[in-house]
Amino acid sequence: MSSQTRRDFLKTAGAIAAASCLPITTVELAFADTRKNFTFAHISDAHIQQIKGTEFVRNWDRGLIRAVAEANLLEPKPDFVVFGGDLAQLGKKSELDHGAEMLSKLNYKTHCVLGEHDYYLDLGEYWSKLFGDHYYSWDHKGVHFVVLNSILTYDDWTYERWPSAEQRMLEMAGLDNPNGSPFMVGSKQREWLAKDLKKVKKDTPVIVFSHSPIQKIYKGWNFWTEDAEEVQALLKPFDDVTVIYGHVHQIQYNQIGNISFNAVMATAWPWPYPESYAHADVNWPKMTVPMNRANPFFERDATGWQRIDLAGGRADLRYNLFDNTNRTVAYNHDTGRPEDKAFQKKADRVPPQTRY
Amino acid sequence: MKKHILGVFTVLAVLFVMGVPAGQAPGSSPPLGLPPVPVPENNPQTPEKVALGDKLFHDMRFSSTGEVSCATCHAAEKAFTDSPLRTSEGIDKLTGTRNAPTVLNSAYMTTMFWDGRSPDLEDQSQHPFVNPVEMGLEDHQPILDIVRSDAEYAEAFRDIFGKTGEKITMTEVMMAIAAFERTLIAGDSRFDRYNFAGEEDALTAQEKRGFDLFVNRGRCVSCHLIEETQAVFTDNRFHNIGIGINSIQEEVPAIAGEFLRADATLAEVDVKVLTNPKTSELGRFVVTRDFDGIGSFKTPTLRNIALTGPYMHDGSLATLREVVIHYNNGGVTEKGDPVNDFLSSGIRPLNLDDEEIDDLVAYLESLTSPEFAHLAEDAGSGN
Amino acid sequence: MRYKIAGIVIVAVALVVIVGRVAIRADEFTDEDLKRWEAEYMSVVETGRQLWGSGDLGTNGVACGQCHPNAADTHPETYPKFQQQLGRVVTLGEMFNWCLMNPLEGEPLALDDPRMVALLAYATYERRGVPLAPGSH
Repeated sequence: MSSQTRRDFLKTAGAIAAASCLPITTVELAFADTRKNFTFAHISDAHIQQIKGTEFVRNWDRGLIRAVAEANLLEPKPDFVVFGGDLAQLGKKSELDHGAEMLSKLNYKTHCVLGEHDYYLDLGEYWSKLFGDHYYSWDHKGVHFVVLNSILTYDDWTYERWPSAEQRMLEMAGLDNPNGSPFMVGSKQREWLAKDLKKVKKDTPVIVFSHSPIQKIYKGWNFWTEDAEEVQALLKPFDDVTVIYGHVHQIQYNQIGNISFNAVMATAWPWPYPESYAHADVNWPKMTVPMNRANPFFERDATGWQRIDLAGGRADLRYNLFDNTNRTVAYNHDTGRPEDKAFQKKADRVPPQTRY
Repeated sequence: MKKHILGVFTVLAVLFVMGVPAGQAPGSSPPLGLPPVPVPENNPQTPEKVALGDKLFHDMRFSSTGEVSCATCHAAEKAFTDSPLRTSEGIDKLTGTRNAPTVLNSAYMTTMFWDGRSPDLEDQSQHPFVNPVEMGLEDHQPILDIVRSDAEYAEAFRDIFGKTGEKITMTEVMMAIAAFERTLIAGDSRFDRYNFAGEEDALTAQEKRGFDLFVNRGRCVSCHLIEETQAVFTDNRFHNIGIGINSIQEEVPAIAGEFLRADATLAEVDVKVLTNPKTSELGRFVVTRDFDGIGSFKTPTLRNIALTGPYMHDGSLATLREVVIHYNNGGVTEKGDPVNDFLSSGIRPLNLDDEEIDDLVAYLESLTSPEFAHLAEDAGSGN
Repeated sequence: MRYKIAGIVIVAVALVVIVGRVAIRADEFTDEDLKRWEAEYMSVVETGRQLWGSGDLGTNGVACGQCHPNAADTHPETYPKFQQQLGRVVTLGEMFNWCLMNPLEGEPLALDDPRMVALLAYATYERRGVPLAPGSH
C-alpha cells in the first residue's frame, strides 16, 4: 500500500491545479498593490503557413486553434488578449486571413503586435487593415501598456536591397540566414515613445509588448534589437517596467536595472537555445531556466501560450505548455527579478532541462 | 558437485524468503518481453497473500446485492475483462460510463483507472465497492464485518498480516487484492518470440509488415512503447485521441468551466465520472484540472488486445479494425469529421491504405499470450 | 609483343608523371590533395545547407531549418542512441528520416542517398568540435 491515500493524491493534484488556475494572489508579494491585480492572456508566433490554395500546414494551425480554445476556458476570465506577432509565415494575405479567422474565435478583445513574418512582404499594409496601428499605447486598471513594432531594420535593406517584395520576405524568413538584417525600433518610434511616456507617472507600471527582445542576445538568429540601449534608456525612469516579447519561441527572462524582460512561447514550433549552437557568441540571460527538451512526436511539445497576472505592477507569466508540465516565471520582489517558481534552484531541476 | 547443489539451494532459499513474485516459481524471471514486476516495499508478494487476494477478488458478498465481485467485470475466462460489454454492468445490471480494462499487466501501470485518479493497485481496489453502479455498498463496513468474522478470512489475515478482529482494516484487504493482481502478468506472445528471442518464423509476413507500420508510419510506438529489451506497450500517460470528446465539443467550455470553479478537493470525482457521461468524457481533466487533460485517457497496454474488446474508455469501437481506422483518420471515427480542439498533438492522419490497415490489425493479434490463445478463437476481434 | 607492353608501361608512367600532382605511392598525399578533398567535402556541406532550408524535402513546405536553425538541437555527437520516438537505438540518418516522415510529412531517403549524405555532412559540420557523447539525451 503506497504511503499516499487516494484522497491525499487527489487533494495534491487538485490543489496544485486549483492554485494554478486562480490568479496568483497566493504568492507572497512584499509590495503587492492589489488594486492593480488582473489577468490577461498572451498568444504569439502562430506562423500560419500556406502550402497551396486553401491548404495550410496543419501542425501550425493546430497550435493556434488549441491556444485559442484553451484561452477561452480561462477561469477567471482574462481582461484581454495580446497576440505577440508572426501570425503569418510569409506575410501573405491568405495566411493573415486564415490566422485572423482563428483568432476571431477568442471571446476577448485582442491587441496585436507586428512580427517580421507579418511585415516584410507588404510592410504591414494588409496587417493594418486587419489589426490597426503598428505601434500604440493604452491604459488599463492603472497600468500603461505600449505596443512597439520592434522588427524594423535599416532602410537600404528594406527598400533597396531586394528585387522583389517576395524575395525580401523570404530573406527575412530564414532565422539563420546570413542575408538577414538586425531588428530595431528606430528613431521615429523612439521619439513617439518618449512623447507617449511623458504623460505617464513614474510609479505607474509600464508594460511594453514587442516582437524582438529589446535586448542584444544573439545576433545570428536576430534575438536582437539594434537600438536596445536607447529604448531601455527611455524606460529607465519608471519604477516598474516589464518588456514582454515574442520571436524567440522559448522561455527566456532577464532583469536589466528596473526592467524585467519576459519571452513568450510560440504556438507553432520551439526554437533551440542559442547556446546549443556550438559556434555562437551569445549574451545569454543566465537567470533563465530553460524549458524542457521537446519530444517532436508530440507536435505541440515545447509550444504554448501564456496567462499573465499583473500583481503589484509586475508581470507573472504562467506558461501553458501543451503536452507538458506548465511553468510559472514570477517576479520576485525580494530579489528584484523574474524567477521560475519551481526550478530556479539548480538542485530542483529535472533531466529534460539539461541541454547541450 | 555437492557444494554446488548446496549453493544453488541457498540462493533459491534466500530468494524465496525475499518474496519474489509468487505467481511464478521463486527465482524465475518475468515472461519474455516484460520487465520485472514493480513490487512496493511495504507489500511484498507471498503465496499466502496472493491466495487471500484471489479469494477477496472473487467474493460476491462484497456487494449490496451479493451478486457482484471484482471478477464480475474482470473475469479470468475473458482475459480479466467483461468482453463483449461496452461499459460494465454492476449491481442490478446498472451500467456506468467506462469499459472495464484488463487486470493483466496492470502491475506495470503507474496510475489506475482510465483517468489515472488512483495512484496504485492497492488504492484502486477499494473504490468499486462503494460506487453506486458497481458494487453499490454505502461504505466498506460490510466487507470488514465479513473478513473479521468469517473463519477462513480471519485465519488468513492473522497469519499474513498478524491482525485480528477490529485490527483488520481495508488497508490489509487492499494489500491482498493488489498482491493477487501483481501475479496477473502475461507476455511471451508470438511477437515477443520474434522480437526478443530472435525467432524469425514466430510472425507471418503480414504480421511483420504490421510491426513495421506500428513503429514507423503508424506512429504507434511512441505511446504504446516497445523498447530494445522489453515492451509494456504503454507510456503510462494520458492522451486525447478524439474518442467521446468529439461528441461534446460544444459543451466543453461549460462543463470544464464548472470544474475549474468547483472546490479543489472534489470528493465525488469517482462517483461523478461513472454516473455522468458528459463529465466522463473530460477524462484526466477532472483529476488534474489541467487543460492538457481535457478528453485525455490513459494509454492501455496492447498485450492480449485481441481478447479485450470492445475498445476505448467508453467501449465505443467494437473491433481492432475500427480502432486503426480511427487513428488513420487522425482522431475521428468518421473520416472527414472535425477533430476536437484539444486533440493530442501526436495524433494526425496516417494515410494508410486498406491492406496496411489489415497488416496492422494482424500484428496486434499477434500480441496474445499463449495461455490465453484459446480465447482468441472464440473472441474473434472481427476484421 | 614485349616492346608493345613496355611501351604501354612507359607511356603510362609518363602520363602519371606529367599529370603528376597525384603521388605515385598509395600512402602519400599532398597538400593539394588535402585542399581538393576539403573543397569536395564543403561542396556537399553547402548542398546540405541548401537542402536544410529548402522546404522541398517533404510535402508541406516545412524546412529542417525552421525548427533547427544552423542544425542546432540535432546533436549529432549523441548518435547512435536510444531514440524514444522509434523505440530502439538508431543512427542520426534514421532520425533524419523520422523527421522527413513526420513533421515534414514526406518520404524517407535511403541512408546513402546523396541528399541524406549532404544533410548529414551539413549538420555534423555545424557541430564540429563538440566531443562525442553517444547515447546521451
